[in-house]
Formats: sequence, C-alpha cells, structure tokens
Amino acid sequence: MNKVSVLVFGLMAATALGGAAHADKLDDIIGSGTLRCAVVLDFPPMGSRDADNQPVGFDVDYCNDLAKALGVTAEIVETPFPERIPALMSGRVDVGVASTSDTLERAKTVGMTIPYFAFEMAVTANDKSGVKSFEDMKGKVVGATAGTYEAIALEEQVKAWGEGEFRPYQTQADVFLALSQGQIDATVSTSTVAQANVKSGNFTGLSVVGKAPFDTDYVALFTNREEYGLINYLNLFINQQVRTGRYAELYEKWVGGEAPDLTVGGVYR
Amino acid sequence: MLDTALTWNDLLFLGQGAAMTLAVTAVSVAAGTIMGIIFGVIRFQAGPIWSMPLMFFLDIFRSVPLLIQLVLGNALQSIAKLGWPPFTTSCVVLSLYTAAYCTEIVRGGIASVPVTTRRAGRSLGMTWGQDMRYIVAPLATRVSLPAWIGLTLGVMKDSALVLWLGLIELLRASQILVTRLQEPLFILLICGAIYFIISFPIARLGGYLERRWSPHD
Repeated sequence: MNKVSVLVFGLMAATALGGAAHADKLDDIIGSGTLRCAVVLDFPPMGSRDADNQPVGFDVDYCNDLAKALGVTAEIVETPFPERIPALMSGRVDVGVASTSDTLERAKTVGMTIPYFAFEMAVTANDKSGVKSFEDMKGKVVGATAGTYEAIALEEQVKAWGEGEFRPYQTQADVFLALSQGQIDATVSTSTVAQANVKSGNFTGLSVVGKAPFDTDYVALFTNREEYGLINYLNLFINQQVRTGRYAELYEKWVGGEAPDLTVGGVYR
Repeated sequence: MLDTALTWNDLLFLGQGAAMTLAVTAVSVAAGTIMGIIFGVIRFQAGPIWSMPLMFFLDIFRSVPLLIQLVLGNALQSIAKLGWPPFTTSCVVLSLYTAAYCTEIVRGGIASVPVTTRRAGRSLGMTWGQDMRYIVAPLATRVSLPAWIGLTLGVMKDSALVLWLGLIELLRASQILVTRLQEPLFILLICGAIYFIISFPIARLGGYLERRWSPHD
C-alpha cells in the first residue's frame, strides 16, 4: 500500500466514522420537523380535550410554543401519568411537557429542566367569612380533601394555632360545596384547582384570597438525561417564556390570577 | 329521550378509532396469513423434527400474552433504534401473532387432505406445485376457513391492546370520551356496538363461503 492510498483510506474511514457519529436529539428533532411531546390529557387545566376531542390546556400550548421556537410542528402524544417516562424511554416522544414534579428519584432516569410551572397552595374563602389571607384562617373552621398533602399540612397548622377546627372531606368537590354552603370558612388547595372551581360557576360567593405558605410543587420538562444540548435549549426556552411574558399570558388563559414565581430563594438553579 | 353529552363529532371520533382498528387488523391479518401459509407449508413438508426451530419461534408468539409481546416489541425496536412509529410496531407484532396461529390452521388444513388423493394426483404426472395448487389448496381452504375466520375476529378484538403503544383505536377513543364526558356505560355500549357492526359481516361472510364451497353437504 503506498502513501497516497493509505491517506485516501484514512480519509474515507474518518468520513465513515464521522457520518456514523450520533447526531444529538436537538438536531434529530429539527431534522425530523416534528416535536413529539408527552402530555397528560386528563389533568385540566394543564391538559384535557375540548368538545372536538382535540388536546387543549397549558401543557399543550407550551408544547406548541416550544415547537414554534424550534421551527417544527408539534405532535401531542397523550400519555397517562404513569406512562410519561416509559413513553420517553421507548422513544415514542422527544420531550415530556406533562406537569412532572422534578423529584430526585425521577432525575435518576430522565433529565429534568428548570421548573416551567409551579403548583402553589392557595387559600379559597367564603366571602362572608371575612378571611382575607392565610393568617385570617386562625380560629376559623377550615377543611380540605382528606389524605392530600395540603390537608395534612393544614390540620397541623390548625393544631399549632390551637384554635379553630379542621374538617376533612372525601373529595375536592365536597370541600368546595361545603365552602359555598358556609359549613367551612376557608380551604387550602392547589391554585389550579382553586381557580378552576371558582371559575366553574358551580359555586357562588367564593374567592381565592391568597397563597398558603406550604411547599410549592415545582414541575419541569424532561427528556433523555444524556441529551445536554436539548436540556440546555429547554432551560433557555423556559427562561424566555417567562421573560417575554408568555408564561404569565398562558397562566392567565388557563388558570387565572397571579402566575407563581418559578425561582427558589437562597440557592442557584 | 336519552340525555347525553355525546355529539356527532364524538361519534365521528369513535369512527376514526374504528378505522384505525380496521387498518391494524387488515394489515396484520393479511401479513399474518401470508406468513402463516408459508410457515404452514414448511411445517408440513419439513416434518416435526426439521421444523422444530420454526415451531419454537412461533410457540413464543402463541404462549406469551399479546400485551407483553407488544410492550416488549416496542422496547426492542427502541433499543435497536429502528425508529418505528407505534403503527408499524403494532402491525409487526400482531402479524407475527396471527402468523403463529395461522401456521397451525394451515398445517391442519393440509394434513386433512387425504394422502390417497394427493398420491393419485402425483401419479397422474402432477408436479408438487400442481398438486399443492389444484388438489391441496382447494380442499385445505374449505377445512381451514372456519378456523381462519375465528382467528381474524379474534385478532380484531385483540388489536384493542395496541392502545398501550399510544395508537388511538376504537377502545382508546372510547376511553378518551369516557374521561371527558364521564358516561362510561353509554359510551362503552356504543363501542361494543361498533365492534359488533365490524365483526358481524366477517362472520357472515365466513358462513356464506362455507355454504357456497360445500353445496352437497
């Protein structure tokens, strides 16, 4: 073999290897022209179906925005809650836009972005009760859905105050019914649930009066954990959504009220 | 009158689901039957010992629950980075599943043709191919038809399991409507009725062909 043919062979091998190298997922999505998002569609107002059975909701709009930013078309892949991560692992979706809490346990399997939404605990009160803030609930009769995180926290708070009464209810609907009938003065629930119930028109004389100082449930987008290029892009996208006011706009459209802060004080990231 | 939130749009949505069920079934039964005929002939010609590897392979598809096959098939295509959409994965798995059953039907059909009849054909100078085409095929088809119709109807109903891969077929479409409208009984009743409307003609076609092909029974 002479020197020239060695060189040619080397170049050919390098080209072949270069071609075989794995393009990253961000390139794959842009190349395919389609962004496939895992979205939970039985979780209004984040995801549900309208009268024409088309997917709608905060997460659906968020996926559409992301696709627009990437210059591709969005494809909403409906995944029930337990199927979100398996759908990603089996390659049926590219990104999860599915109100997924960014737990450390999940982060062992998938790559989580910075939070794109937060479920805050909100206080909803009967207008006649005079409750205007979380502190006003001291000494009043309050209630929540038994067994939920907010019910446990609220019951402890009532005990700590040493006055007032806590009443557990079987379902969220029962709580709001009791609230509108005046059996309880105020309740604590996630802000999305509170706003949805107040807006539904099924209950009168109720308003969301403020936030409860309980732990906020931050939710993140997720994709394969080794796809740093895509995760970087998603982080910047979330930042841009907040910066441009689109996040507040979507929050107003689907939930209503003041959009929750997505930052945690006293720590980076 | 019945009080329901179900609209014509929703019925159309169910119709689209039914179309998906039919598409998956049509592809799988067609591909599965062709494979089943090939495997069945090989199985019969090669004898029980030589066809053992093939039978072992097909037995896997007959013994492992279809749902597990679908989930594993989907995981395999993802590990192999084939990038198949759910429709392709579903059709491939269902075709192999159909082929596994069809092989036995075809083998039974061929075995039912009297050896004497086939020998008579061969002694008249027919080649193996002619014997297969003009003697075995017509007789074996008559014997196999009822079992094949049963298999087709079975595969159509089993195709509901592809909803696990995210395909919106008839059952998944009704589940979506149930989630939205909270009327499970009524919607599932309609879903069942649609399955019946699809299956009934196939069953009747089977009965018609059976009668037509055996006029003197």
